[in-house]
Order: sequence, then C-alpha cells, then structure tokens
Amino acid sequence: MHILKTINMYRDLVWNLVARDLKGRYKGSVLGFLWTVLTPLFMAIIYIFFLRLIAGRGVPIQNEDIIIGVFAWQFTVQCVSSGMSCVTGSSSLVKKVYFPRLLLPLSITLSSLINFLLMLLVQLIIVSILLFREGQILDPWTAALPVIIIYHFLFNFSLVMLVSAANVYFRDTQHVVNLFLSAWFFMSPVMYTFSLVQTMTADIPILQPIYLLNPLAVIISGYRSMQLPGAEFPWSNAALIGWLWPAVLLIIAYLVFQRAQRNFSDML
Amino acid sequence: MTLAIEAENLGKAYKVQGMAPPTLLGTCMRLINRKPWERFWALRDVDIKIPKGTTVGVIGPNGSGKSSMLGLIAGTITPTTGNVRTQGRISSLLELGAGFHPDLTGRENVFLNAAILGIPREFVRKRFDHIVDFAGLREFIDMPVKHYSSGMYVRLGFSVALEMNPDILLVDEVLAVGDMAFQMQCLDRIRQFQKQGKTLVFVTHALETVEQFCDEVMLIHDGKLIMQGAPSDVIFNYLKSYMVRIGMLNVEEHGTRDVEMLDATFLDEMGNETATFESGGVMTVEIRYKAYKRIEKPVFGFNIKTGNGFYVFGSNTQMEKVPIDSIEGEGTMRLRIDPLTLKKGNFFLSLSIHSWDHSVQYHRREDWHPFAVKDLSETPGLMRLNHTWEHRE
Repeated sequence: MHILKTINMYRDLVWNLVARDLKGRYKGSVLGFLWTVLTPLFMAIIYIFFLRLIAGRGVPIQNEDIIIGVFAWQFTVQCVSSGMSCVTGSSSLVKKVYFPRLLLPLSITLSSLINFLLMLLVQLIIVSILLFREGQILDPWTAALPVIIIYHFLFNFSLVMLVSAANVYFRDTQHVVNLFLSAWFFMSPVMYTFSLVQTMTADIPILQPIYLLNPLAVIISGYRSMQLPGAEFPWSNAALIGWLWPAVLLIIAYLVFQRAQRNFSDML
Repeated sequence: MTLAIEAENLGKAYKVQGMAPPTLLGTCMRLINRKPWERFWALRDVDIKIPKGTTVGVIGPNGSGKSSMLGLIAGTITPTTGNVRTQGRISSLLELGAGFHPDLTGRENVFLNAAILGIPREFVRKRFDHIVDFAGLREFIDMPVKHYSSGMYVRLGFSVALEMNPDILLVDEVLAVGDMAFQMQCLDRIRQFQKQGKTLVFVTHALETVEQFCDEVMLIHDGKLIMQGAPSDVIFNYLKSYMVRIGMLNVEEHGTRDVEMLDATFLDEMGNETATFESGGVMTVEIRYKAYKRIEKPVFGFNIKTGNGFYVFGSNTQMEKVPIDSIEGEGTMRLRIDPLTLKKGNFFLSLSIHSWDHSVQYHRREDWHPFAVKDLSETPGLMRLNHTWEHRE
C-alpha cells in the first residue's frame, strides 16, 4: 500500500516521464506512431505467409489467431526491449536527483501500455473485418479485455523491473535477454494455438500442463478466447497456476528491484 | 533546536573495479577466481547535525568525499553504514537541466524538468512566462533542446530550478559553471533562501563565498570529517595545513638554502593569525628566516597571484629601495600591505630571498601561502582602484 501512496505522490513525474518516452519514440520518425502498428502487422503477414507456404493448408490456425498472438506478443517484447535500458539510459537523472527509482520501469511500462492500447484498437478493427468476411462478429467477451490487459501489464511490469535492474549490474544482460526472447517466442502460442500443442504432445501429455505454466501461454490464449467466437480457453489446474504465479513474480520482482536500486548510482 | 539533517556514523564504500562496465560473464569469472572486491571508502564515520535554517558549507580538496556527502543527504546514494534523517523536502541546485530530453522542445522540457524537481504542474503553468523570460529564450522555447547551445541549456535548467521551493537546498559547485551574471543570480537566490529560513548545504571551492554565506563550515578530507565550526576558523585551518600538505597547490620550493624561510604567518590588523582578510584592510606577513651564514645585501621579494594563476603584483626590497645590509642567524621580516586593495577571492603569496645581483636564489617558495580576501562592498573586479567622482553642471 505504501508503494501506491508513493506513486500517487509522484504521479506528476510519472506522467511526464511517460510523455517524454512517447514523444521521444514518435518524434524521431516521420511515420511516428504508424510504425508501432505496422511492425506487428507486417510480422503477422510474414508469419501467415510462410506458415501457409511451409506447412501448407493442413495447419489448423486462423489468420485472426496469428494477428492476435503477434500483437499481444509485441506488447511484452516492447516492454522488455525498451525497459532494459530504462535505468541505465537515465543515469544522469538517477545520479543527480532523488525520486523512487521504481518510477522508471513503471513509466516505461505505462508508455508501452498506451502504445499497446492504440495497437489493440487497430488489431480489433482488422480482426473484426476478417471475422466479418466469414460472417462472424467479435465475441461479447471482448468487452472484458481490460481485465486481461491489466494482468498482462502487471506481468510485463515485473519483467521490466527485473531486466532493468539486471542491466545496471550486468551490461551484457541484453544478449542473454535476446536469446531468451527468441526461445520464448517459440515456446509461446504466437504463431500457433494451444490445440497444436495438444496434438503434438498427445504421446507425452505431461508436457501440456508444463506448457501452460508459461504466463504468456495463458495470456495469449486468453486474448484469443475473449475475442474470437468459438475459441475455448484451455482451462485446467495447470492453466490456473499459470495465471496465479505471476502474482508471486510481481512481488519478487518488486523486492529484487527495491534491493537492487540501492546501488544504482554506484553502478552507473 | 530542530535538526534539518541528522546522520551518525555515516559511511559510503565503493567497490573498486576496472574501467569496463560490469558484465554477467565478468562476474562469473570473478566468482570462479574467488577474487574479493576491493573497497574504497569515500566517506567514513561522519556525524552530521545541521539545525533548521542554517547554512553549512562543505570544503575540502578534490576527491575528499564532499559530493558523496551531498549525494547521501539527497538520497541519490545509499549509505554503506549509518543513515541520514532529513526533515522536509530536499532539492539540489546541482541537476541543472537534469532529465532534459534532447528531442523535446524547451517548453516540454520545462514541465518535465519541473516534475523531476518536484515543482507542482499548476505552479509551473502560472510561472511559465516568467521562467522563459528569465532564461531569455522566448523565441526558442518551441525548438527541440538538442539545438540549444550549452549556455541556453543551463540557463533554462537554472530558471526552472529557481522556482523550486524546498526546505533543504543542496548546492554543489554551481558557482563553478556559468558566467558572472549567472553566478550573481545564483547567489541572489541563495540569499533569498536564507532569508526564508531554509536550510542550505553547499559544496564549493570558492572559499570567500563560504565565508560570506555560511554559518558553519565542515572540512572533509580523505572521507573523514576533519573539522567543523565557524567559517573563518575552518577556512584558516584548511588553507594553512591542508592545501599545502596534500600538495593540492602547485607549490614549488627551491634555492640554495643558505637562508631558509622557517615560516610565514598572516596577521590581521589586530595582530591575530588569520588566512582571510577584509578588502581595504591591512595584511601583514611575518616571515621568520634563518641564515646559516652571513649574507650581504639580501633581497626579500613577494608576489601575489589569483587562485587561477593570474599574476596580480610583485615587488622586492631592492625595487622598493629598502636595502638590508646583511643577515645572519634567525630574524623576522615583516611585509605590510596597507590598504589591501584586492577584492574578494582566493590568492597565493609567493616569497623569495635572493642575492642583490640575482645570481643566487637562497630560498623561494612559489605559490606556497594561500589566503582569501572577503569583500563587503558590492563593487566587482579583481582589485579596488582608488578613485573619486566629480560632478560638474
């Protein structure tokens, strides 16, 4: 509770940092915001094209699934990659002015969230059009998206706290994280759905609950089942744990960050 | 008496590591090799008690731990031992333009910087025109600050900083940056803060400013609090023992040593030992010497340079036509400067004894004796020129 009070006290600064990040992100390029939407869109198109080319028509996946998956995946990637340097990049600020250091990962995650909300708007339009062509409409559960967005935000916030603190102590964190991200991409249902995992692991069913422990597996599946009619969320005990353990992660990340920030100005 | 800043047993140690930034691989290697970290204490066992409403100066040679102390008070550095308790909002005048984003315009950066310094947004909005005019950047305010000159950058940062209203203000070497007008504004603002009963802590090498502004001065050297007390006492101690002993000054000593200067003492009008003089007052230097053999017609000389090496004045007993027949054994030479027309600043006195024909340098101490001059008048400049005004209709 104490932390919420502090954040509230510094809300002016938080919004200014968010605004600084967003303006900095868009001012450099002519197309500005357009790029943040075009990137996941082109990625989705590339995935769809090559999946169809390589795997043929047999793959049980819809274009909508891939689009939703890529946009949600991009939210996490954006947070992690821009959040990595949120402390090291503000070294002069950290060394000279006192403010709760937590505001740095918080503001970077918030600005990524705003970015994602705009991306999501575009994604909803595209998915609606695709569904409309098949004579369908968005699932009514779409209205409940804010819940999963907040959850996804908090999960990303935990990651940003961890990587930004780690990056202060180990400047080669970036390489490790990039490796991890590329593995994580394939371990998450971005360009396939959970049903593919089910068919692939039919012989070793134990792998399925393990797979669902990946928070992004449940998050992306959640986005899909909320927006697409007929997409069922793979409820199971493992999925429930997949939903719950990021709460522990949030607390751990918070404690790690607060411990680490004591030495930030020494290490920068 | 309420304390604004309080700390006991305050210490800060840094791990000594190479130039390269820390890496995961490097740390693993270190763990495998079991190489322990070396520690360097930037500050150790310092007790601080600063009452509300006082102005405290922190002096000491470079690298003595002054800035670490300010960082510990400000909260940007976490102490290794002890802790700091502060009452009220702290701001510092050291982050001029901190957090400016080069791609944002001056206007956007004013609000961002104000938020960083904890100035309420409403307040900034109200004072915005004033801030911009004060910085003199009206026509550039909607331009990205990456196109600003460094002077413009600092001016904008400073005029935002002026709007701060903290209970405790930390000032770190602000007087070292910016031009004359900028420094004057800084000092004006500092005076204003004092009048409002705020607590000030400032670090500076400008000893005359310390003398002028501070109620109390802390002398720090090698991370330890050496002395704390009235400005004139501490400054005197600092100049006398420290600057020379640690070789901070570009001191030089040479000569045949047939005559040796044993010591030189600065005396004020009342004959008390001091290292700070008032502009327009009397400065007396008592030089004790010892001649190991009889020296015929020795010449005593002196010169004065400013803190940054500008040669102000020099003369000797030969030029002034005060010949000395001969010296042998111990004796005293008095140099009296009346009135001392130097204006405020730090100065260095060099002394020498040489032969009448300049062929033998017996003993010369270059820049050996530092002293400070304080000035109560408002006139600027290096020295006072005696002058009169006359008005005719």
